[in-house]
This record gives sequence, structure tokens and C-alpha cells, in this order.
Amino acid sequence: MIDAFEQDPLIIAGRELRSRFLFGTGRFPSPAVLQQALEASGAEVITFAVRRVNLESAEDDSVLQHFDGKRMAYLPNTSGARTAEEALRIARLAREAGLGNWIKVEISGDVRTLLPDPIETLRATEQLAREGFVVLPYTSDDPMLCRRLEEAGAAAVMPGGSPIGTGLGLLNPYNLGLIAEQAGVPVIVDAGIGSPKDAAEAMELGADGILANTPVAKAQDPVRMARAFKLAIEAGRLARLAGRIPKKKYASASSDLAGSLYEPAAAGRGGGAG
Amino acid sequence: MQREKWKDFRLYVITAEANHPGRSLVDVMERTLIGGAQIVQLRNKTGSRAEVLEQARSLRALTRKYGVPFIINDYPDIVLETDADGVHLGQEDLPIGEARRLLGPDRMIGISTHSLDQALKAEREGADYIGVGPVYPTDTKPGRKAVTTSYVTEAARHVTIPFVAIGGITLGNVDRVLDAGARRICAVSAIVGSEDPAAACRSFLSRIEAADAAQAAKTITVNGREERTTAATVEELVRQLGQQNKQLVVELDGLIVQRALWAGTELKDGASVELVHFVGGG
Repeated sequence: MIDAFEQDPLIIAGRELRSRFLFGTGRFPSPAVLQQALEASGAEVITFAVRRVNLESAEDDSVLQHFDGKRMAYLPNTSGARTAEEALRIARLAREAGLGNWIKVEISGDVRTLLPDPIETLRATEQLAREGFVVLPYTSDDPMLCRRLEEAGAAAVMPGGSPIGTGLGLLNPYNLGLIAEQAGVPVIVDAGIGSPKDAAEAMELGADGILANTPVAKAQDPVRMARAFKLAIEAGRLARLAGRIPKKKYASASSDLAGSLYEPAAAGRGGGAG
Repeated sequence: MQREKWKDFRLYVITAEANHPGRSLVDVMERTLIGGAQIVQLRNKTGSRAEVLEQARSLRALTRKYGVPFIINDYPDIVLETDADGVHLGQEDLPIGEARRLLGPDRMIGISTHSLDQALKAEREGADYIGVGPVYPTDTKPGRKAVTTSYVTEAARHVTIPFVAIGGITLGNVDRVLDAGARRICAVSAIVGSEDPAAACRSFLSRIEAADAAQAAKTITVNGREERTTAATVEELVRQLGQQNKQLVVELDGLIVQRALWAGTELKDGASVELVHFVGGG
């Protein structure tokens, strides 16, 4: 079945990815754990942030040094941006580093929820797509907005399951399902994932991939959790492809009743004096 | 002597035998050359013409050995006779035009000035450099009223030919003179009267260089923090900040500077620089 999975690549802007896991690199307990977790995740896309260098230190403390020689797709984000203009600036800085032209647009005007600003996100997506970036906007789980982002040139849309780092899982599976149903570009559920079951659920709802960071990095054993996510994402994807059964109100036995040794119990037996 | 190269001089030394009794003129002046003197002037207001001529011959030979211009105070005739590089005049000596006729176009003519008017007049009349002073009262020129550093500042603003600040300048006050805008310093007793004229010259030169660095320094903003820097280019700044081993991206006044252009990108006063790189993130 793994082979089947490998023959089912996720394609973003023409790039074939065998893994549907987009791996966030923040907040790991150590570079070594980060590297092992990345290995265990099987991820081919890694995300990171653009920040000012620490002028007090001459040592190269960039996250990139840990990925030397690995064939990765790099997805820098614009975290810290509050407006489209700020996101554009960060995106251009990131592109100048020479690691390609993918950018995760992440614009938040609210420190408490870090929820994406839909207007600014749309503006930034439009402009960056025009400038030749491969734009993956982190967005609210709003089907209309996702459609507009796609029209604006997004290479994928990345609705959040719940606010970043909360681990609250998928707060609006209905919307996520609609987004997956309508989207002409890959849908990556980004943010709010708490554990592999959320990832599997999102994949079953029709998501094409999962971006997770905190639930791996802050797990008690990040390396093991990375593998758990890998398996859950694969499981969810396969389940989606396999087609789940419809939900029913009442039970249906797994074996045919014909030939049963006993008469079936009376249906809907009322209680008390009849 | 290369005609234009002399203009680069920063430390000008003048003889003053009275300041080093018991040590020979040539020995003391050689010590100043070893210490880095970049112009030597023979000044002898009391000796006979014959004595001046003899000293001029010795110092001409010495300065030639060190490749340093040699100037004689007064005596254009001795300048010609010893093939010195130029003459230095006082306000009461022969006029610049006269000296130029005697010496021709190639020799240097310098003149002491005590006011901006004199400085500008000297410039108009074709002086190659001027002395600006005495900045402080000096025994070398007793009775002359000090012009103070305010004249140095005026000269720095208005004089276009090289000017050298002179008069009572010591290691104790040279920083103030440099702060006032002088780029070339002449010291007499503080050097030739010193136990170790070579060391004195080196000290003056290092103070001049330090002033250069301070003057070249500009205030820029790096990653949101104000910094003073002498870096002329982005490349130099990154190196001065010890960041050259990082994989970073530079933004200067809102525009990205590609790595290949760092060395050629000038850093101006008031510039805003961002040095960014990638950190872990989701």
C-alpha cells in the first residue's frame, strides 16, 4: 500500500512531492531532535521564518545549516507580518536567500489568536503571485476566501484547523470539507492540529496535505510523534481515496441475518406498560 | 618626489635645534623620518646663510633617502642650490609670486597664515599649502598671538588647498585640533624636543588616524539598533559586525542588496540596514 501512496504524489506548482506532510521547524528541543524528527516524518517540504540575525553572536545559528545537502522544498513564511506590505518585504528577503521562490503568506494582526488577516492575505497573495512567487497562503477556513485566494494565484490554500499552536484540532470540519471539495489547487490544513488523529481527519475530509509544527516539536517524544504523523497522514489519505462509508443513524450488522440461529429481537421495543 | 603625492602628508615636522641640545640635527631628524614624518622643514632663523646651506645639504640627502619632501624656511636660493622640494614663507617674507618666479612651477611654496583672509589670499596667489596657526601659544614663535582652534575650523571649511595646523600642538591637545577639522598636523618641540622623536611621530600619526576613523564614522541603524560604524560598504559592515560566516540577506534602506554587490554598495550616514536569516518556524 505504501507503493500506492508513492504513486499518488502531491503536486504543488509542478513539483511532485511523495510526502503530504509539510514540516514546521520551530521550537524543537535541539537541532539533533529536529533532524531526527524530520527524518522520521518523511517530509520533503520544510517551513521556517525570517528573522533578524543575532548581532551578539558570530556563530551561524540559522536553521538552514541543519538541512545541508538534503533535497528539500523550502517554504519560508512571512510570520511577524501584520500587513500585506510587510509580508511582501519578508517574502522578497526570503527569496534573496536563494532557496527558491515558495512563500507561505502568514499575516496576523492579532497577537492573541494569530488568526490570519483575510484582506491583507488576499492582497499579499495577489501581489506575490504577480511577482512570480509560488504562494501558499495560510488562511481562515472560509470557503469563499479560499476560492478568492486561488483566483488571486495561490499555488495551494492552507486553511487553519484552529489557531496556531492551540492543538484544538479541526474546529470547522464542515468548512474544511467544502474547501477541499471546491478547490482547484491543493488544500493543506495548516495550524491547530493537535495530534495525528486531527491530521487523519483532515485528510479524510479531503485535504491534500498537512502542515504541522508545534504538535511534533512540543510532543514528549518529537521523533516518535513525527512518525505517528507520517502514518496518520498516509492513513487519512488512503481512507479518502478508498471512500468511507456513509454515516447512518442505526446499526447494520456486519453479517447477513439469513441463516441466523435466532429470530431477530423486536425492533423499537417500548419500555414500561404497553 | 612625485609632485602630487606630497599632498597626502599628515605629519609635518620642522627642525628646532634649540630643542635638542647635545643631539645632532641630522640624527634627530632621521629619528622623525623613522617615526613616519612625511614632510621635513628646515627652519633656522638665527644661523648664518652658510650654516643654513650646510644643514640644508645634509637634510636634503637624508630626506631623499626616506623619500620625503624637504622644505626650507625662507632662502629660495638655497632651495635651488640644494634641490630642495620647496620653500616655506612667513607673512613678512618675500611674496608668493616672487618666490614662484624664482623657483618655477614645480617646487612647493607654503606660507604661514594667521587668519582666513591671509589663507584665502595665499590660495589665490598660488601657494601649494598653508600653515594655520599658531593654534596654541608656542615658544617656537614667541609673542605671536594664538589663533585658537576656531581658525582651524574656518580653514577646514573654506580653504581648498592643503593646510597644516601648527603652533603649540602636543599629544595633549592634538585631539582638539583634529576635532576642529585639521587633517594635517605640524609639531615642532613636541617631536624634536622629545626624548624619542620616532615614538612621538608614531603617536601623532596614530592620533591622526584615530581622528580619521572617528570622522569617517557614521550613525546607521542595524536591525533596529543605532550603531556607529566606520564601514564604507555593506561588505565591511557585515565583517565589522562579525556576521560574515552567516547565511544572511541584507536589506539597505528597504532594498535588498545581493551578496555579489555588498562590496560595491556604499554605506551612507543615516542608512538603515537589516541583516536577516532563517530561523525555525511553522
